[in-house]
Amino acid sequence: MTRYRSLIRGAAGLVACLASQAVAQASDPLSKLDPNSRFAVEAMIDSARVAGLPSRMLWLRAVEGINKGADSRRIVAAVRERFVHLKDARAVLSQATDDELAAAADLLEAKVKPEALIPFRNPGRGRSPLLALTILGDLVTRGVPRDDALSAISKFWMGGAGDAEFMGLFRGVESDILQGLNPGAALQNRVREFPGRAPSSIKPTTTPPAGEPETPNS
Amino acid sequence: MTDAEDHPYVEWIAREARRPVATDPAARARVMEFVRREPAPRFSVWHRLVQPRALSLSPLASVALAAGLVGIGIFTGLFVLRRDGQTLAEQPLAVAPTVSGLPASDTVVTFIFAGKASQVSLVGDFNGWDAKATPMTKVVPQGTYWSVTLPLSAGRHVYAFVVDSQWVADQHAPLAPDDGFGRPNSVRLVGRGSSL
Repeated sequence: MTRYRSLIRGAAGLVACLASQAVAQASDPLSKLDPNSRFAVEAMIDSARVAGLPSRMLWLRAVEGINKGADSRRIVAAVRERFVHLKDARAVLSQATDDELAAAADLLEAKVKPEALIPFRNPGRGRSPLLALTILGDLVTRGVPRDDALSAISKFWMGGAGDAEFMGLFRGVESDILQGLNPGAALQNRVREFPGRAPSSIKPTTTPPAGEPETPNS
Repeated sequence: MTDAEDHPYVEWIAREARRPVATDPAARARVMEFVRREPAPRFSVWHRLVQPRALSLSPLASVALAAGLVGIGIFTGLFVLRRDGQTLAEQPLAVAPTVSGLPASDTVVTFIFAGKASQVSLVGDFNGWDAKATPMTKVVPQGTYWSVTLPLSAGRHVYAFVVDSQWVADQHAPLAPDDGFGRPNSVRLVGRGSSL
């Protein structure tokens, strides 16, 4: 009888131990990474925190990769890339908010050079480049030539464009692209709707032949 | 021969000790009868709880119990403080079933996906990219529109739709470049006066 009692107690302890580990895993998504990858990700999160960068963005990048089913190596690479781009964005936009840093880091991930962010630093009192950076990231992602998009948005921004103008530009370009227009041509056409904002560097872009609609980069 | 053995009292005591003792055979029965008539002691629950008792554990059970306690400690630590240094109270809300108790800084935002699907959910930085956290509901019986409304803190949020297990960006919102996992996401800016 004593032996059975001991066995039951042991089993109960084991079950409690396994259950607590299972719940801990469920509450910590990073536990799904292999130990080395998890260590690397956690080290970068700690480094970001020490550097005053928004470390939660690195954690979210890792969790996004885990939930998208990416392998550990790819997740570590994505987190490392995010970390580097956040550092580079902070170096250029020293006074930026976390959201502005994230938008700028997105642009760097889209192969925009850090120097291209210079027009967006020190925006002045009450002005935020968040929307401009977000629209720029959108244009590049939809396939607008990088230099054209950068030139147009920089000119809008430096010319004092407000949210309404950026929104109008985004809605117009998005609509044209979804209807099948070449992204570069869509930007060129829509920029013309804002007199005095069209940068001279945008070159005419031909529309694709009928039946070959451009698709956004993905 | 000692002085003690010569003493008359010693001799008397020794004689008394050697004399056989006559016992009453019914004495035991009378004592037991007396004990039975006494009311049994009643222990309260509190008395039972505080009463010290011996607990016997085998070495294996002890190890298992210790491991369980350590596991509970680890779980509690993970639950209270995440690796990114934020306590659970600081973590963003996943999905609030209602908007009651909404923090003043939050804004109620609606996401709409247009397209035929059998199951659609919303994922983003606000729900830990968890495809089960924010299911969307059909707006039209034919199932061509899916919608969900939830409170979001002010700022920039990155999100996507999970349409029948496929992650797709919201093409009607600004896109965020591919972040290394092969698909772009979408961006929603909340609380800037714009409805992006």
